[in-house]
Amino acid sequence: MLQCIFLLSDSGEVMLEKQLTGHRVDRSICDWFWDQADSFKSLPVIASPTHYLFQMVRDGITFLACTQVEMPPLMAIEFLCRVADVLSDYLGGLNEDLIKDNFIIVYELLDEMIDNGFPLTTEPNILREMIAPPNLVSKMLSVVTGNASNVSDTLPSGAGSCVPWRPTDPKYSSNEVYVDLVEEMDAIVNRDGELVKCEIYGQVQMSSQLTGFPDLTLSFANPSVLEDMRFHPCVRFRPWESHQVLSFVPPDGQFKLMSYRVKKLKNTPLYVKPQITSDSGTCRVSVLVGIRSDPGKTIESITLSFQIPHCVSSADLSSNHGTVTILSNKTCTWTIGRIPSDKTPCLSGTLALETGLERLHVNPTFKVGFKIMGIALSGLRIEKLDLKTIPPRLYKGFRAQTRAGEFDVRL
Amino acid sequence: MFNQFGSTAETLSKASAAVLRIGTDAHLYDDPEDVNIAPLLDSKFESEKCEALKRLLALIAQGFDVSNFFPQVVKNVASHSSEVKKLVYLYLLHYAEKRPNEALLSINYFQKDLGDPNPLVRAWALRTMAGIRLHVIAPLALAAVSKCARDPAVYVRKCAANALPKLNDLRLEEHASAIEEIVGILLNDHSPGVVGAAAAAFTSICPNNFKLIGKNYKKLCQILPDVEEWGQILLIGTLLRYVVARHGLVRESLMLSLHGLDSNGFYEKDGVVRDERDGDKRDLFDANLVSLVSKCYIEGPDEYMSRDNYGETVAASFDSKETTSVGDNEDVKILLQCTSPLLWSNNSAVVLAAAGVQWIMAPLEDVKKIVKPLLFLLRSSTASKYVVLCNILVFAKAVPSLFAPHFEDFFICSSDAYQVKAHKLEMLSLIATTSSISSILREFEDYIKDPDRSFAADTVAAIGLCAKRLPEIPTACLNGLLALVRQESFAGDLESVDGEAGVLVQAVMSIQTIIERDPLSHEKVIIQLFRSLDSVKVAAARATIIWMVGVYCSLGHIIPRMLTTITKYLAWSFKSEASETKLQILNTAAKVLISAEVEEFQMLKKIVLYVLELGECDLNYDVRDRTRFLKKMLSYKLACHEPAEDSVASHGNIAEHVVEHVFGRKLKPFSPLALHNRFYLPGSLSQIVLHAAPGYEALPKPCSFVFEEHDHLSDSARQREARDDLNGSQESSETGDEDGSSEYDSESYNGSDFSCAGDERNDANDANDPLIQISEVAVSTDQEELRSKMALDLWLDEESSSSNQTPSALDRNQSSYAKISVGDIGSRVNPKSYTLLDPGNGNGLKIDYTFLSEVSTASPLHVCVEVLFQNSSTEPILEVNLEYEEAKKESDSAEQTLVGKANASYNNVPTLIRMEELNCLEPGQSAKRLIQVRFHHHLLPMRLSLHYNGKKVPVKLRPDLGYLVKPFPITIEEFLATESRLPGMFEYSRRCTFTDHVKDTRMENGKDKFLSICESITLKVLSNSNLHLVSVDLPVANTLEDATGLRLRFSSKILSSEIPLLITITVQGKCSEDLNLTVKINCEETVFGLNLLNRIANFLVETSSSASS
Repeated sequence: MLQCIFLLSDSGEVMLEKQLTGHRVDRSICDWFWDQADSFKSLPVIASPTHYLFQMVRDGITFLACTQVEMPPLMAIEFLCRVADVLSDYLGGLNEDLIKDNFIIVYELLDEMIDNGFPLTTEPNILREMIAPPNLVSKMLSVVTGNASNVSDTLPSGAGSCVPWRPTDPKYSSNEVYVDLVEEMDAIVNRDGELVKCEIYGQVQMSSQLTGFPDLTLSFANPSVLEDMRFHPCVRFRPWESHQVLSFVPPDGQFKLMSYRVKKLKNTPLYVKPQITSDSGTCRVSVLVGIRSDPGKTIESITLSFQIPHCVSSADLSSNHGTVTILSNKTCTWTIGRIPSDKTPCLSGTLALETGLERLHVNPTFKVGFKIMGIALSGLRIEKLDLKTIPPRLYKGFRAQTRAGEFDVRL
Repeated sequence: MFNQFGSTAETLSKASAAVLRIGTDAHLYDDPEDVNIAPLLDSKFESEKCEALKRLLALIAQGFDVSNFFPQVVKNVASHSSEVKKLVYLYLLHYAEKRPNEALLSINYFQKDLGDPNPLVRAWALRTMAGIRLHVIAPLALAAVSKCARDPAVYVRKCAANALPKLNDLRLEEHASAIEEIVGILLNDHSPGVVGAAAAAFTSICPNNFKLIGKNYKKLCQILPDVEEWGQILLIGTLLRYVVARHGLVRESLMLSLHGLDSNGFYEKDGVVRDERDGDKRDLFDANLVSLVSKCYIEGPDEYMSRDNYGETVAASFDSKETTSVGDNEDVKILLQCTSPLLWSNNSAVVLAAAGVQWIMAPLEDVKKIVKPLLFLLRSSTASKYVVLCNILVFAKAVPSLFAPHFEDFFICSSDAYQVKAHKLEMLSLIATTSSISSILREFEDYIKDPDRSFAADTVAAIGLCAKRLPEIPTACLNGLLALVRQESFAGDLESVDGEAGVLVQAVMSIQTIIERDPLSHEKVIIQLFRSLDSVKVAAARATIIWMVGVYCSLGHIIPRMLTTITKYLAWSFKSEASETKLQILNTAAKVLISAEVEEFQMLKKIVLYVLELGECDLNYDVRDRTRFLKKMLSYKLACHEPAEDSVASHGNIAEHVVEHVFGRKLKPFSPLALHNRFYLPGSLSQIVLHAAPGYEALPKPCSFVFEEHDHLSDSARQREARDDLNGSQESSETGDEDGSSEYDSESYNGSDFSCAGDERNDANDANDPLIQISEVAVSTDQEELRSKMALDLWLDEESSSSNQTPSALDRNQSSYAKISVGDIGSRVNPKSYTLLDPGNGNGLKIDYTFLSEVSTASPLHVCVEVLFQNSSTEPILEVNLEYEEAKKESDSAEQTLVGKANASYNNVPTLIRMEELNCLEPGQSAKRLIQVRFHHHLLPMRLSLHYNGKKVPVKLRPDLGYLVKPFPITIEEFLATESRLPGMFEYSRRCTFTDHVKDTRMENGKDKFLSICESITLKVLSNSNLHLVSVDLPVANTLEDATGLRLRFSSKILSSEIPLLITITVQGKCSEDLNLTVKINCEETVFGLNLLNRIANFLVETSSSASS
C-alpha cells in the first residue's frame, strides 16, 4: 500500500508531504526523482533504488506516491487522479499557489481520502460534507470572526449507507435534473489527407437536485451505436445487460454517469489542408482550414497548434483570419474562432532552416481544436429520463456539446 | 486575525499582498514562524490553537522537523473542536513514532473518544490510535479495533478494517491470530463498504488464509458489485486466488489450452475456434508463450526461469486432478459472472483486475470480451494509459489475434508520451496481420517523419519486426528502408540533429533482420547496402554494414566477386574510422580471408596483412589487442600461399578449427523469446517494473487448499453468536472495556496455556509443600505487613464498633475477623505460577515458575523467580540447568529507550544469576530453585536456554509486571502528597468489574461484607503483584449493601528506576453484585504505568478459584 504522497511544484519543490504509514519516506526521494533524465522521469511507474514511485502530473503539479511493496499500480495512479480531481474541484483549479494557500484543506482532504495507504473516502459528495470547500462565505466568515471550522462534526449520512454516493435524505424545494452529453472527437488524418481514425469519446454528465431517494431510468434512442462504456458505480448492471437502459439512484449534485465510445465515424466537421515545401534552406508553409460537413450548428473556438521542428531557426507566419502566436518553446498556435462566411482562413509564411540544412526532413503534426454547442456528433440520442416517483415541481433538461479531443492532422 | 500581521511598516506590505488571498491559509504557509507558536498552543482560545497547529503543519509540509512541540500539541488532543482535533491527529501521526513516550499521553483521550456517541469521533480516535504504531499500546489498540469491528456505524467498522494492517505491521506474533480473527469477522460484514476494506486488510495481513474466504465465498461474490471500487480491486484478486487454490485452473481456459488434456476433446473445440477466425494459424496464439505465461503465473517467473530445463517442462501438463471446468464448478462460474460486469467499471484498476480474472479463468471463447474494455482504458489519463498498455502487451504477446482487429486503437497521437508511443509501436508490430499490415505500414511511414527522432528510430525497428513476422511483405519494406538509408545518409551529414543517427542505424539493423531470414533472395539488397557504404557516415551503421560484408561474403555469385574491391576500400578507409568500425573491419578481414577463393587469395592476404599492420599501431588498445589476437589466429593462413593448401598441410591444426568456429560459423536464427519474457500477474506492479516487487505472490498452487465444511458451520455459528451479542449489548462503554480486556488477557500475556498452567501449578503445590511457599511470601512482605496492619487495624476498630456483627463461620485460619492482620492475608497470598516448559515438549520435564516478592540480593534490578522442576517421566533427568541466552539484537526503539534508563551501574551484574545445577531429578521427584533475573523490557519475554540430559532447549521467561515493582512503604499523608504531585498526564485510570467477593460473601454469611470485599480485593492484588497496602478508606454515609466509595491505596516503586508508583482502587456498586472498580495509577513513567494498569485491571477481572481457598 502507499507509504507517502508528495506534491511537487513544476520547479521540483516539495510543497506538501503526507506520510501514510509508519514506514516514513524521506523527502530526499523527491530530489532523486527530480534529478532523473526526462525520459525516465516521465514514466508513470518508476523503480527507484529504495521505493517504487507512481507519478501523475496535472496542471504542472506532480503527484508522487511511494510504496515498497507490491500493489496494483493502476490503483495508485487512479487514486492520484482522484485526488487531483477533488483538489481542483475544491480549490477551483490546480496550481502551486492554490495548493500552498489552502494547504490545510489539502492535508485534511488527504487524511480523509486515504488511511494507512488504502483509499478511505473518495466519493466527492461525502467529502464535501466532511470538509467544507473554501467559498466566499466561509472566507469572509473566517476573516470576520477569526474562527470558522471547515471540518464537520458529524459523519455524513451517506458514508455508511449502501448508496455511499448519496446523502440519505436531501430536500429541495424545486427538483431539477439535467443531462448533458459531452463528446470529444478523436481523429487522425494522415499525410495523404486520408481520415485514418475518427471516433467519439463521450460522457453523460448529470446534475441532479432531487428530494428523497429517487430512482431514475435513462434510455437512449439508439444504444447500438455505443461501442464501449463505463459506468458510475450507481448504475445497475442488470438492466443495462438485458435491455440497455440505465437504471440508477443518482448522487446529489454533479457527476459523470457514464462514458462511452463510438467508433468509425465517417467525417470530421472540419478539414485542415497543410502544405509545406522546402527549398535551399527555407520552407513555405500554408494551411487551409474549412468546414467539411456542416453539423448544423456553429463551430466555435477553432484553434490549430503545432510544434515547429527543432531544425527551424526562425519562423515568419501570418494568417488572413484570427491570430498567430509563437511561444518560446516553438509552439505555434493559430486561434481562428469561427470560420468567416466570406473567406477561407489561411495560415501562410516561411520557416528558415538552420544553416547547412537544405530541406526539412521532419514534418510537424497539427492539433486541431474546436467546439460545437448543442450537438452530439456521435449521433447518440437520449430518448427519455423517467423517475419512478415523480416529485412535485420537477424540471428536466438535456444538453449536448462536442469538442475536439485528439484531433491530429499530419503533414 | 489581523494582529499577526503586526503594525510595522514592513509587515504592512505583506498584509496588502495577503488581501488577495484573504481567508486562505496562505500567510501561514509563507511565514509559519512569524509568530511564536508555543504560547498559541497553550492559548485558551480554540482559534489560536488552530492557528498554531496550522503553522506547525505548514512547517511539516515544508520539511522542517517540529517534533519538539510534541508535548504541547498532545495536550490539545482533549479539545472539543473537531478542527483542532483533526489537526492534532495529523500532527500526532506524523511524529508519534519519533516521540513514543509523549505519544502515550494521548492514549487516554483516545480511549475516551472511542466511547463517544459520535461515530466520526470514534473513527478518528481509532484511526489515530492504531496509526501511532507503538508496541506498548498494541494490546490496547487491538482491543479498540476488536470493539470497533462490532460498532453499529459502518464508517467505524471500515476504519477498524483499515486499522488492522497497521497493527499487523508491528509484527507482534502473539496478536496474529486475533488480528486474523477480526479480519474474518469484518469479511463477513453485511455492509459492502466494510467488506471492501476488510478485503484490503486480508490482502496485506494473511493473503493465504483461504479458510476465511471459503466461509463467505458466495456472499463475497454477490456483494462484489456493491463494494467500493478500491475494495473491489483487491477483493477480485483475493477471490481469484481462492478459486485457484481451491479448484485449480479451468480446463477450457487459455492457460491450459495447450496442455495435453486428452480426455475431453478440447482440441476439437480449439479447432472450431481456429476456423472461425480468418487470419492464418500463426496469429491465433503462440503456444509456447501461453504455457510459459501460465507457468509464470503459478510459480513466479524467478523460480520458474531459474530452473535449467524450463524449456522442456513447458510441455508437461498439469495434473488433470488439479483442474476444473466452468461447466460443472459452481464457484468458478460465480466468479466469472460477478467479475464480468466490472469490466464496465469507471475505475481503470477495477477493469484491469476483472480482465485479469477473465484472462486466467474464462473459457477460451470468452476471453475476447476483455478486449474492448481494455482498449477503452487507453482513453484515460496518460499515466494509466502506460500501465494498461504494458498489460495489454502481455496479453497480445500470448494471443495476438485478440487485439489484431483493433489495430487502429494503437495508432499514435501526437500527445502520447514517448513510452506510450514505444509500447504502441511494439503492439502494432505484434498484432499486424496480412490484412492490416498495409495500413500499419502507411502509419509507420508517417511516423518516420515525426520530429521526435528516437521515436522515428523505434518505428524503423518496428518495421523490421513486422517484416520478420509477416514474410509476405518484406520487399515493400526493404525498398522503403533502403530509400530511408539513402535519404538519411544525406540528412545524417548534420551531426547537430539529435537522434538522426539512430534512425539510420535502426534502418540498417532492420534491413539486416529482414535479410537474415532469406539472405539469398535479398542478394541485391545486400549489394545496394555495400554500395551505400561510402555515403553512410554514422559509425554504428557502418559497423553493421561491414559486419554484413563478413557474414555474407560467400553468398551468391556477385558478392564474392566484389569482395576484393570492398576489402580494398575498407583497408583504405581504416585509418579514418571510429574504433567501433575498426574492430568490425578487422573481423570482416579475417572472415573474408578464410572464405577466400583461390584466385583472390593472394590479393586478399596482402590487404589483410596491411590492415593488421595498421591495427597494431592503433591508438585504441581494444583495436590493438584484437589485431594481435587475429594475427596469431590467422598466422597459419597468412603463412601459406594457397587457400586449399592449408587444409591438407595443417591437418589437425587446432588453430584452424578455432578460426573456423569463431569466424566461419553460419548465423543461427536467434529467438529473443526466452530472454525478456518475464510474466507476472496482470495488473501487478511487478509486471510493470519487470521484477518481482517485495510482497509479490504468484497464484497459489492449484488445489492446495482443502476446504472443510465442518469448520464453516461452527465458525459461522460462532460469528452469529458474536453478532447477537452485539445487538444485545449495543455498545456501552463498559461492555466494550470488558470485551477488550478479555481479548488483551488471552492474547497478549500468557498465550493459550495460561489458565491450565495456573491450575496445574496449584495442584502441584498442594501435593508438595504449600507451606514453604506461603511462608516465604509472608517473610518477604514483613515490613509491608506491619504498616498495612496499622492501617487496617485502624479501620477495623472503627468498623467493628459501628457494626456489631460477630462473624461466626470464619475462615479456618482466623479465630476472629475483628483481629484480622495482613499477616493472615499474606499467608493466603498465593502467587500465580506460569509454565516455562510443559512436559509434552520436555520429554516429561515440567517447569513452572513463580515470581517472588523477595528483594534480590544481586542488584535492585533483579527479580527473584522460583522455578519448580518436576519430572513426570519414568526416567531420571540429569544435569538440569537454566542459562541466559545472549539476546539477538532486537532493534525495537521502544525497548531501547526503556532499557536505556536502567541504571548503568548494575550493567556488570549478569542478567541471570544462575541457579544451582540440578544433578539428577528422579521420576516423580520435584525440586525448587531460585533464580534472579533482570528483565530487559517489562513486556518482552527473556530468552533462556534450558539444559538437561545434555540437550539445549530455548525457553521464554515472561516478565510479570506486578513483580517488577517493589513495595514502597509510605503513610497515607505521604501518599496523598505524592499523588498531588503527579496529576494530569501522569495519571491514568481504567475501569473493570470484580466478582471474586460474590462467592466469599455468599459462603460466609455472617462476615461483614465490606471486610470480605476489602479482603478479597487486597488478596487478589497482593497475589499478583508486589505492592504495599497504604490504606483503606470507607465512605461515611453508606448503606450496608452499597460498597460505593470504598477505596484502597497501594504504593510501590519501579524496580529499575526507583520511581514511585501509586495505585488507587475505588469501588462502586452493591456488595452482593459484581463491583465496578476504577483503578488509577499515578506514575511518572507513563509506559510502565499504563502497562501495569492494564495488568491490574486484567487480573482483577479474572475469576480465580484460588482466591478463597
